[in-house]
Amino acid sequence: MTSWTRREFSGGLAGAAALPVLRPRAARGQAKAQVVVIGGGVGGATVAKYLAASTPAVEVTLVESGRLYATCFFSNLYIAGLRSFQSLTYGYGAFAGRYGIRVVHDSATAVESDSKTVKLESGAVLSYDRLVVAPGIAFRDGAIAGYDEAAMQVMPHAWKAGPQSKLLHRQLQTMEDGGLFVLVVPPDPFRCPPAPYERASLVAAYFQRHKPRAKILILDAKDTFPGQNLFEDAWARNYPGMIEWLPAQFTGGVKEVDGKARLIKTAGGGAFTAAVANVIPAQMAGQIAQRSGLTDRSGWCPVDPITFESTLQPGIHLVGDTIIAGDMPKSAFSANSQAKACAFAIGASLTGFPPPAPHLFNTCYTFLAPDEAWSNAISFKPVGATIRTAHVFVSKVEDSAETRHQSAREAEGWYIAFTEDVFG
Amino acid sequence: MIHVINISVLGKAQAYTIAGCRDGGAHWVRHALTCFVAMGLSLVATAHVLAGGVDHGAQIAATCASCHRVEAGERGIPPIVGLSEAKLTQALLAYRFSERPSHVMHAIALSLSDEDIAGVARFLAAKGKASPP
Repeated sequence: MTSWTRREFSGGLAGAAALPVLRPRAARGQAKAQVVVIGGGVGGATVAKYLAASTPAVEVTLVESGRLYATCFFSNLYIAGLRSFQSLTYGYGAFAGRYGIRVVHDSATAVESDSKTVKLESGAVLSYDRLVVAPGIAFRDGAIAGYDEAAMQVMPHAWKAGPQSKLLHRQLQTMEDGGLFVLVVPPDPFRCPPAPYERASLVAAYFQRHKPRAKILILDAKDTFPGQNLFEDAWARNYPGMIEWLPAQFTGGVKEVDGKARLIKTAGGGAFTAAVANVIPAQMAGQIAQRSGLTDRSGWCPVDPITFESTLQPGIHLVGDTIIAGDMPKSAFSANSQAKACAFAIGASLTGFPPPAPHLFNTCYTFLAPDEAWSNAISFKPVGATIRTAHVFVSKVEDSAETRHQSAREAEGWYIAFTEDVFG
Repeated sequence: MIHVINISVLGKAQAYTIAGCRDGGAHWVRHALTCFVAMGLSLVATAHVLAGGVDHGAQIAATCASCHRVEAGERGIPPIVGLSEAKLTQALLAYRFSERPSHVMHAIALSLSDEDIAGVARFLAAKGKASPP
């Protein structure tokens, strides 16, 4: 019809794909609903942005201690020397200005659900009508004996992008040729299930060029892993004899480490001295979720699969790695997808609508070599109290080399678009 | 200044004439809607079109934005902004039938109903007209 005005209308949708459509009664002069989001990772930032963009009747405050966020996804490329650390980091300034989000650089120390307030480390208190908690993961103390704060500085986990990633990167660079790199993989569920094997693949590519006599040993707490046939095929093709994977059935799993000696002991009596050790501990929901009564006995947070509202504390929503999401993996893509559904559900609820049906999806691009990747694509739907896989498609071992190269190029394109969707 | 807003981008051919609202740049939609409110006008739309207060097509397009840059061209992943409604609909329907050339888009297309496809194609085409890549 009137194309000029049509242009004008959609021209206002800068950045967010979400179309803001306001119900008039929601903003008729009354105070705006206050939504506080704890955690500025992928889940928290996406909720904040999509809620602020789609529901003008809401004032969004994002609480995040860091001024810069480094993405865990693609951090294996940095660790293996294929990307700069700076290329993984994002600030909150542009995002805050564009969507009118108030960003508070502080840490949430307590949630009082009775008074609907959040206490911050600085002593400040924030009131909320709705709270979103997206703290990511925490490590389980004592899961591996001897793996304490001091040991982490010798044998980094590098499972939260930041100083730990830099430490592992440095250690790999200064490791002597012929050294043994040991990678300890935790039990399920943990953040980004294919990532330990991607890390092994990319470190192998680095060793091949710079330290060709080095070896990689993966000590797994599991007996199988995601994309196993794709990884094993790539390891045999690209890095013959360099990577050895030992499942828990052979070792009993890692039970103890000695940080000073870089010694790793398995339940079955094995002991390995590493030149560089990457110990990824068992995981649970982030601290603030643990302290706020949002976790169940599993250590993770149960939520409604449509609104992502806690089933334990009404008025509090959770997204990302911290939740029990049925079949959805703990990935940045899942967090982003859950966050959009959560933002639309909160917007609907605050403006007097029932929650819309969520569109839940996950895609992971996983590198097998600097120029080779595989991907999966899974759609999900809420079924009863949980989330189930609807359709799943995964790259195949028999895919052509060109297909794997194409996936690596797509992965780069995906990273640009995805980080723009979250932080842009 | 008169702005005529064609609500057909919302899936419903409804036009409103508003006087006195000026273009507010990137936040024009917000400004326009504030004007709606200030002037006592209401956006009338059926619940299925505005499921939860946000356009149905826009909600699906939010999923597109996880991989496709919405504002500009891209490398690695083909652009979708600038394609016509017919082309987008045709492509999504074709992706339903085969894992080739993209299993990611096959999974996406299988998860969308005909109504979802119509809504997202309409939304993205309207957006593309606003900002050609």
